[in-house]
Amino acid sequence: MDTLNELLNGFAAALTWQNLIFAFLGCLLGTVIGVLPGIGPVAGVALLIPLTLNMDPTGSIIMLCAIFYGTAYGGTITSVLLNTPGEAASAITTIDGHAMTKMGKAGAALTIAAIGSFVGGTIATLGLVAAAKPLGELGLLVGPPEFFALMVVGISLLVALAGKSMVKALISGALGLLISMVGIDPVAGAPRFTFGMDRLLDGVSFVAVIVGVFGLSEILSYRKGESTVVHAPGLRSLLPTGKEWRRSAPSMARGTGIGFGLGLIPGMTGSVASLLSYGAEKKFSRHRNELGKGAVEGVAGPETANNAHANAALIPLFTLGIPASPTIAVLMGAFLQQGLTPGPTLFTEHSEIAWAIIASLFIGNLLLVLLNVPLVGLWTSILRVPAPILTALILLFMVIGAYTINFSVFDVFVMIGFGLLGLALRHLEIPLAPMVLTLVLGPLMERSLRESLEISQGDFSIFLNRPISLVLIILGVLIICSPLLKLRKPKALMDDPET
Amino acid sequence: MTQSPARTRPARSVLAGIAAFGALGAYVLVSSVGLGLWTSLGPGPGLFPFAMGAVLASMSVLWLLQELRRPSAAGDKADGGLVLAVVVSLVLLAALLDLLGFQLSMFLFLMYHLKIRGKRGWLSALLTALAGSVGAFYAFNYGLNVALPVSSIPVLNLIGL
Repeated sequence: MDTLNELLNGFAAALTWQNLIFAFLGCLLGTVIGVLPGIGPVAGVALLIPLTLNMDPTGSIIMLCAIFYGTAYGGTITSVLLNTPGEAASAITTIDGHAMTKMGKAGAALTIAAIGSFVGGTIATLGLVAAAKPLGELGLLVGPPEFFALMVVGISLLVALAGKSMVKALISGALGLLISMVGIDPVAGAPRFTFGMDRLLDGVSFVAVIVGVFGLSEILSYRKGESTVVHAPGLRSLLPTGKEWRRSAPSMARGTGIGFGLGLIPGMTGSVASLLSYGAEKKFSRHRNELGKGAVEGVAGPETANNAHANAALIPLFTLGIPASPTIAVLMGAFLQQGLTPGPTLFTEHSEIAWAIIASLFIGNLLLVLLNVPLVGLWTSILRVPAPILTALILLFMVIGAYTINFSVFDVFVMIGFGLLGLALRHLEIPLAPMVLTLVLGPLMERSLRESLEISQGDFSIFLNRPISLVLIILGVLIICSPLLKLRKPKALMDDPET
Repeated sequence: MTQSPARTRPARSVLAGIAAFGALGAYVLVSSVGLGLWTSLGPGPGLFPFAMGAVLASMSVLWLLQELRRPSAAGDKADGGLVLAVVVSLVLLAALLDLLGFQLSMFLFLMYHLKIRGKRGWLSALLTALAGSVGAFYAFNYGLNVALPVSSIPVLNLIGL
């Protein structure tokens, strides 16, 4: 009953006109980011953080969450109409979604995708409501050693699952942790790796780093492509037939289950959820032999799964303070910038904000359906904007984003430097995801390690003497040693651009 | 698509990358010892960086061994002209931002990318550059209450740039 009351209070806060506008704007911007090829959700959310810095924390996080799940739907539009996924999680939708476009059913494909996204997102948010209190209370029992061990597991999973080489993933992870250590040491107060520069005493701005590594490096690695002609479907063709609805329902149910389950596991990205969902359709769908030729199940399943994943991935963040994917790590950075620490204390110290954000997820999912289906013509028109204009405007936002964090040109230079580093990392095929995660988690991880060792007076066995911490450490070691144990990595992760 | 033949030697760029990460790891190892690994109060400021330096250095060695045994194909090469144009224009923009102010420096930056690199027509380039510079300045300053820099040159400052 308590939970229901708090959720209702959350709805009261989320339904104020300011917060509704923030959710609306977030959905709009998220869809635009999803539609634009080249600027993924990680850079997109990071890029827009500075716009939200002057807002109140609730409005700011509501808008960023809406941007986050808005990107998941935006990517679908280009997958269906252009055969070009706007973001990685929608890549699999190109197969049947674009085939449906060729059959003149683009409108039906987009509507099914939107409804599937709504269903998956709403059910996953209900899961968050149910899990928030019990998991949050469990999280309060977690001390520094368990928290450190939990982060070790999270990072190990992402390192083990990212890219093709664990050696390169570990380099990426270590690099992120080192960048997070630049500045004044939080315990002893000594400057670290500042090279005598006062500007580095506060550390390196994570927004500048992320915009550089993910956004700028993407533009720097851009190659000239073919121009495409986009035809938006008319409003009349947007309604799927009764048969298409009936065929989609079981796929949406399977997609919700897969996306929700994978959203809870750190390292599993939206792309994995949609790929596994497509795999499930190939195995269980009654029309599996039509997959690849424009079957509606090939759109309904993956699109439901990636939105269920996007919302379920908020559960470990809200309850335990662990980001499950790179985009969630950026979102966590936004929480921290607003003075909110995601995790169990969020529900005790900022209960109203936490429930308002959760309530806004329901509203945002509904807004996405209402906005995206009728406005599909508007979204596709973005793709008709010539590439030089789009590139110039994206660069403009990157500069403003980096500058406005500290109102300093120094951060623009930091962004440029990290853009070049990102380009080098892409060239060397070093995955970027572990770096983002460790960049955000680094300070928390170091603090919990040092607090643990202070409790034990320097005895490292504290991590092995406490049962939860021991189990988590063993799990982390097993994950890192998985190549030695010849454990197979899911095939879907091998070429996942998100990782 | 044609498959590139398997490499017999590691690519130079890959070796340079390994050397850079190895050197960074070694530098972090040495400097974190200087920061202090342990203090009377417990773990020192150098302990965590030391561990990360060790990971970076050891992974670089492992990567080198992997490359020597089975060289990997280096990733796609970037378009050098594009990288140079974007990076140099961004560096110039950042250097001139406080001097010329956001509006003028961003206008020049956008004109370069739209007119010279993007070969857009004069009208389209001018309108987009004005919207992205003057328009963005007013939208951010007055709409979002986010102050973008104005020129430190008195004459330009006087005319609102």
